[in-house]
Amino acid sequence: MLVPLPLILFLMLAVIFAPGLPRDLPVAVVDLDGSTMSRQIVRMADAAADVEVVEQLASLSEARQALVAQRAYAVLMIPAGLEHDILLGQRPEVVVFSNSQFLTAGGIVGRSLSTTVSTFSAGVSLRLLEAQGVGSDRALDLITPIPVQQSPLFNPSLDYIQFLLSAIMPTVLQIFICATAVLSFSREHHSPNGMPRLQRIALSPTRAILGKLLPYTFVGTFVLLLGDVLLFNVFDASFRGNVFVFFLNGFMFILTCQAMGALIALIAKDTTGALGMMGLIVAPSFGFAGVSFPRFGMTLFSQIWGAIIPLTPYLQLRTDQTLRGAPLEYSLPTMGWLFAQLLVFSVLLWVMTRKTMAQIPVSENATVETQESKS
Amino acid sequence: MRKLRHFLAEVFGVIRALFADDSAKSTMIVGILIYSVLYPQPYVGEVLRDVPVVVIDQDNSTASRTLVRAIDVTDLVDVTMSAPDMETARDAFYRRDVYGIFVIPAGFEADLLASRPAPVAAYSDGSYLLIYSNVMRAVATVAGTMGAQVNYARLTGLGVDDGVARTMLSPVAVTNVAVFNPQGGYASYVIPAAFVLILQQTLLMGIGLLHAGRKPPTGERLWATITAYFSLYMVWVAFTQMLIPYLYSIPRTGDLATLLLISVPFICACIAMGFAIAMAIPWREGVVFLLVVIGMPLFFLSGISWPVEMIPDHLRTLSLLVPSSTAISAFVAVDQMGASARDVAGAIQTQIVLVVVYSTLAVALSRLPRNRR
Repeated sequence: MLVPLPLILFLMLAVIFAPGLPRDLPVAVVDLDGSTMSRQIVRMADAAADVEVVEQLASLSEARQALVAQRAYAVLMIPAGLEHDILLGQRPEVVVFSNSQFLTAGGIVGRSLSTTVSTFSAGVSLRLLEAQGVGSDRALDLITPIPVQQSPLFNPSLDYIQFLLSAIMPTVLQIFICATAVLSFSREHHSPNGMPRLQRIALSPTRAILGKLLPYTFVGTFVLLLGDVLLFNVFDASFRGNVFVFFLNGFMFILTCQAMGALIALIAKDTTGALGMMGLIVAPSFGFAGVSFPRFGMTLFSQIWGAIIPLTPYLQLRTDQTLRGAPLEYSLPTMGWLFAQLLVFSVLLWVMTRKTMAQIPVSENATVETQESKS
Repeated sequence: MRKLRHFLAEVFGVIRALFADDSAKSTMIVGILIYSVLYPQPYVGEVLRDVPVVVIDQDNSTASRTLVRAIDVTDLVDVTMSAPDMETARDAFYRRDVYGIFVIPAGFEADLLASRPAPVAAYSDGSYLLIYSNVMRAVATVAGTMGAQVNYARLTGLGVDDGVARTMLSPVAVTNVAVFNPQGGYASYVIPAAFVLILQQTLLMGIGLLHAGRKPPTGERLWATITAYFSLYMVWVAFTQMLIPYLYSIPRTGDLATLLLISVPFICACIAMGFAIAMAIPWREGVVFLLVVIGMPLFFLSGISWPVEMIPDHLRTLSLLVPSSTAISAFVAVDQMGASARDVAGAIQTQIVLVVVYSTLAVALSRLPRNRR
């Protein structure tokens, strides 16, 4: 009953991010000039892939209204007398108001509109220079004396599938795996005599832990694999690493999440309490993992908190093995970090399991004591 | 009057019951308090500064060193090392010691002096978009400024008049003004939105914990229950939408009346949905499990971090069934952008429809034999 849930969520997220890059985001234009030149700027803005001019407004107050009502992510304001001022060489100022409360969309349209105006300006300056008798090749050189070749090393199209979707799927899976581990352990731990019964069946803490968690290890691995097939085969996300290392990391990640979830189940007082505690610890982990806002920009507390959550090293390893294609030696420290988490959580879990299993049950003292000596 | 006193006593009874239930208390009270401390932590820096970058200066001239220094003094990046070649730079990059590589090829100064284009190159990590944008902005700004100075000197050197040179090189000025979140702060962007979702999820969970698999309250007790949850969560609305922004110095412009106009129907919709879920899933753990797992995906349906225009229509329509899908951006519009009731009328209407839909559903489900026991 639980397996379809993460798959449904994966599919939903995939559908949300399927376009990869935001396109044709709505912007409004306030063209107070209405000249040939101003109309050319508007046409150029509309022609850019990421922007679509949806409204022409008469005043700035109407434009503000469009921003607030979220009909537009930015407003392009062309002042009256633009053409006139250009011809007189009076440097008119075009203003782009972008809504930075919506950081992604506002940033994209703001950059796009500014680039459009700069391109237009460069075109004008080219014509002016040519009019001065500067040859057109020479004029082009003059406009950009220090051209910057900007290259994203990985993820060349700055695609949100590779950047966000690829990080969100493991985040959702982490919550799911921790939650299943909590549920499977809580069933014994929080029912009267549950742990002694587990002791009777499983004989040792190690066997009890494996018996409880292994089925969900398979479920988790299966779900992660399906998600990755979706990502790398259907969406063609780039994969430049080693498949074996990638799989090993995923497996280690799942085990670590399980150990952490089970540990929480044993610490908490009851099942719902354990789920709640797990939610508090795991739910905000995406922010701490440093995909959106990088870890080196965080406070020390956030860096430490992020360091104890399995998602943090796992997402770094994912980036290493998928987008970066980093040689294995660079991933080894991070793999060691994830493994250390696994080790610490497992040892704590083993100790806690042994402790709770040894608790003397209400009525079955004798049976349990004989079991104890056996194990 | 007596009736009112009796009703209030019932309301306090419900609140006492909530406090007596450990799970409900830790979700609806303690949980929100812990979240309000923990959740904003990664973002309290607001703006990303000083991204470590490595410089490969193959020219090693006065001009190239000036350029490097100019890049280093920007807030955006911090030149933490200089490397002799790409090999060394890439090594530092893979180790995550640096997040950007900036190359000035040999002959940079000579090209500048000879009035030839003097290209430079910047590499950064497209797998971390915020970092990438910082590195590129730093390089583009500095190269642009330095280029403009060079150009200006060239033209005036050719005998072109000062003012004419200026207009010839940039005949149109463009200014980008970021509105509503002027410094582009990350906390200002994510925290007001996330706490709307946190309110919804804890309220749904709390109702599930208190009512799933139990006989639903009826008559006066039902209204007292609703009043109790409603009052509690209006306090939380004030706490998360007014006190938290204040504590984390997040600018806030909204007025109280408009905030009430969106938050009242939103909280009502969540309560109705909470009861519908509690009646539909008679298993407390199941309710919490479901809500914990779907929390984060719901955030991406709200249009805050991924534009809502990019979500396919069918999914968008379906997502309207969850109050947060429209409420989050409405709260943000009211609180951060000073929207009026008219600007968020659509979201308010959606919340009211959801109140009706989920109340009806909850009542219908409560008639099921298993909920009547």
